[in-house]
Amino acid sequence: MERYWQIEKINLKYNVPLHILVCAVILGLSPFLVGVANLEKQDTAKVLEMYTALIGIVMLTPIFLPEQSKEIRELTGSKYMKSSSVYLLRFIGNSLILAVFLIIYTIILRQNHCVFPVVCYFLGTYAEMLFMGGLGIFSYGLCDNLVAGYMLPLFYYIIAMGSGDKFLKLFYPFSMAAGSYTEKYVLAIAGSLLAAGGIILRCRRK
Amino acid sequence: MFGQLFIKECRQTLKSLIFWLIVLGLLLNFSTQLGNMEIMDAPVKGQEEYGYHTSTDREVIMESTLGALAEEYCRENYATYPIGFYKNVTLNKKEINRIEEILEETTGLSGMEEIEKAIDGWYAKGELETEQRTGRLMLKPEEGLTYERFIELMDEVDDILGGGSKYGEGHRDKNAQVPMTYEEALEEYQFLIKNDRLTGGYARLFSDYMVIFLSILPVFLAVTRSLRDRRAKIQELIYTRRASSVVVVSSRYFAMLAMLAVSVLALSVIPLMQCVKYGSVAGVSVDIFAFVKYTFGWLMPSVMITLSVGMFLTELTDTAVAVLVQGAWWFVSIFGGVNSLKGGMYGWNLAPRHNTELNWKGYHDGFSQLAANRIFYAALSVALLAFTVFIYSQKRKGRLVFRGKILADRKNKFKV
Repeated sequence: MERYWQIEKINLKYNVPLHILVCAVILGLSPFLVGVANLEKQDTAKVLEMYTALIGIVMLTPIFLPEQSKEIRELTGSKYMKSSSVYLLRFIGNSLILAVFLIIYTIILRQNHCVFPVVCYFLGTYAEMLFMGGLGIFSYGLCDNLVAGYMLPLFYYIIAMGSGDKFLKLFYPFSMAAGSYTEKYVLAIAGSLLAAGGIILRCRRK
Repeated sequence: MFGQLFIKECRQTLKSLIFWLIVLGLLLNFSTQLGNMEIMDAPVKGQEEYGYHTSTDREVIMESTLGALAEEYCRENYATYPIGFYKNVTLNKKEINRIEEILEETTGLSGMEEIEKAIDGWYAKGELETEQRTGRLMLKPEEGLTYERFIELMDEVDDILGGGSKYGEGHRDKNAQVPMTYEEALEEYQFLIKNDRLTGGYARLFSDYMVIFLSILPVFLAVTRSLRDRRAKIQELIYTRRASSVVVVSSRYFAMLAMLAVSVLALSVIPLMQCVKYGSVAGVSVDIFAFVKYTFGWLMPSVMITLSVGMFLTELTDTAVAVLVQGAWWFVSIFGGVNSLKGGMYGWNLAPRHNTELNWKGYHDGFSQLAANRIFYAALSVALLAFTVFIYSQKRKGRLVFRGKILADRKNKFKV
């Protein structure tokens, strides 16, 4: 347990501060860009699904970044601790940071007199964050390219925005605004599977 | 030298996974949005409806805008869309009083009770009256109210609401949505056939869908290409080559631009063929170069600036931060443009929208604005490219080596 905590401490100290800052800036800018006060249920869902969930891409996608260089990868590969465990720890750690951000954000929305089911909206938004982040991890693992990692989830976001649920069906990310939560279960499961798939692909790469 | 490098860079772009992902993205976008595109037929007399259009009649603009203000005043909250997202604004006592004064001056109605009575009366009149067919409340302006004074007061309301409301400039005109008559619908169609020669309208629609993707996806290509040398550890090797920094950077830039332009042009062949086929049957003389003109005039400036931002920030920081910067810019542009989807109001938006094959008049009226927008972004991209060349040349001399750390250049290895 001590070892795992050490890995997370290193992650918090060196790898994620910049990403935390970016997420904080994105959320901090929201009062200027989108409404965060006196919102009805549907409008709150829109803000959470279309804006807040984007931080999932920022926070989760770069979990392989510290080992981007092949030499570092070879070095970490020679260590006793498996690379997959390190990646998994980073994924869990970053997911927890996302949860903290989302909790703070939903509290602020609530304080600003937005009317919405807090727990349902929290879980729904979190599922979407996991899916977009998982998609990023998968494409990063598959292409060994951080840029591709950012590109795929963003592409998914644009398709969802442009075509609605016509093509994405159960993978449609903005379903909460229409009152449906079924898609969120699918997104949570698919997001976790994609993240796991990305980690496996990354570990298989020499 | 430039020609050789340009061809090499084109080959490199063709081998890039990111480039093919972008092409796939464009293809998917095309097939989902324009895959089932049908060429519009002429309107037939006696149709149930011919759609809606925005009236330019000042009286209608005033009536519909005042109706909207009265309704929001009674609800005690106001909808605004600063960047396309809904934002609910609740006013304080002083601001409410000012809105009340403005309503009194513009409609002659004083206080909540009188306004509510007027609204109830309007809805009670029934659905048969022409003005009510839009379902929007319309309130007669106070006698003697000039359009100039109306504009002044509505600007003040927009200021009180923090901008992005339906009372601000560019938005209040859109409150006047009225049903089109057969004659008006026919006139719109005639514009499409005669002025746009069919292809012009559809090339604009094509550009509208493509610009959404082309204002963001090229940044991924630019970032990947700029980071590639460092990842392959051949940066220093390339620095020692004879080719000047201008040639190295510009050949990369123009190769990516050319490859993306070719992809877009290849995609445009499909709607062009549909237009040509329809035109040959309907006897319309189509402009076969319309899609080429719109690709270069409408789409390429967005691609140019997106590539430039990607190359400049990657060269400057040696990180993928350009994705974030361009992503933020794209987000604000796309959501900020949702109020001008039907074209005619292009402003300085990175991704000008015109989500209809019709509205030639709007396009025609807003053409100078659109041209200024596109020229500005093309010029800005050239300026950013020049900065990129400067940074690249400095790096060749061993300066400005940040590697993602601002203070990394403090101990220059060439000086030590």
